[in-house]
Amino acid sequence: MGPRDIEDLVADLQPVRRQSARVGFLLIAGGMVVALLATGFGFGFRPDVLALRPAEIVLLRSGALLLVGLASAVAVIASARPGVGSRREGWRWALAAAALFPLTSLALTLSGQAFPTWILTSRSAAYCVGISLAAALVIGAPLVLWLRRGAVTERTRAGWLTGLTAGALGVFVYSLACPSTTIHYAAVWYTLTVAAAALLGRLIVPRLLRW
Amino acid sequence: MRMDDRTLARLMAEAQGGDADAYRVVLHESRRWLVRFFAGKITPTAIDDLIQETLVSLHAKRATYEPTRPFLPWLAAIARYRWLDQLRRVYRLDEDALGETPARSDHETEVIARISIDRMLARLSPAQSEAIRLVKIDGLSIAEASARTGQSPSLIKVNIHRGLKRLAQHVESE
Repeated sequence: MGPRDIEDLVADLQPVRRQSARVGFLLIAGGMVVALLATGFGFGFRPDVLALRPAEIVLLRSGALLLVGLASAVAVIASARPGVGSRREGWRWALAAAALFPLTSLALTLSGQAFPTWILTSRSAAYCVGISLAAALVIGAPLVLWLRRGAVTERTRAGWLTGLTAGALGVFVYSLACPSTTIHYAAVWYTLTVAAAALLGRLIVPRLLRW
Repeated sequence: MRMDDRTLARLMAEAQGGDADAYRVVLHESRRWLVRFFAGKITPTAIDDLIQETLVSLHAKRATYEPTRPFLPWLAAIARYRWLDQLRRVYRLDEDALGETPARSDHETEVIARISIDRMLARLSPAQSEAIRLVKIDGLSIAEASARTGQSPSLIKVNIHRGLKRLAQHVESE
């Protein structure tokens, strides 16, 4: 590239608005509000949530999902503005904390407590997965559009993190409506749904971020 | 005179606001920096194309630069991405000699070492790194690389494939 090519780029220069992380977070928040309203009006939230006195398990599972979603959102939003040595990895710790749910379920089962097998065939599972993934789509789609304006240099990682963010926050929305109060249900269906969303993100998002 | 990162960051911020003079300086300095950054990591005939693609990417993605952060790691991430993209393309060049690496100052050596392509290659196994270097950087054929290393042709291909995949995971790693 010679001086003339550089002059071409200079001639093409227009002022740009910096890509703001705040906009990325606002888009995620907006998607969550839409998903919350749709879920609340469409299916109804749990009575204890509406009364602002949620059951302990609801607080725990919702809090864990929210933390995973926020931590991965921070990482994926940072990835739109690249820089060697500036990766955010806090999401790994949040994910490890959330993994306590399936691990607790496994430990309880191994220690002799009967596993409630009905949750595997429960009809509500289809609602759980369906509503959660729909909410994830509402949250994830604007995020992907925002990321496309960025300069993501590690597209596979961004795909996983986008799916994880949307999946965790989508399941968070559903968890406020979910009638189940057993840890095993969250361990199986929430984990599967978040994993499915992350996998979908890995498969779909990287090809949308090519530049 | 070579500019420090702080000056480049300030000029890039002004360029984002539409200052053509500042932008011209940023592009010339970036070009100079990229020549050193890519030296020895791509065949000499491909280096101009790679620098051009990187500067065009800088131009297209200039809104993603955040002036409160250092400029060169941002440019290096884009440069690494473009370099890896170039390696992935199926091409073979006849050149088997790499250009001389220009002399660098101590500070530049330190900065480039931290964000260099060598730092990425160091994350690969020796066999992966050697296969990529011989075929994708030096431009040898698979058969020539196989004869040079003692790895079978299929192993060379596997090592290139796995190596490139691994490199893609570390574009932003120090």
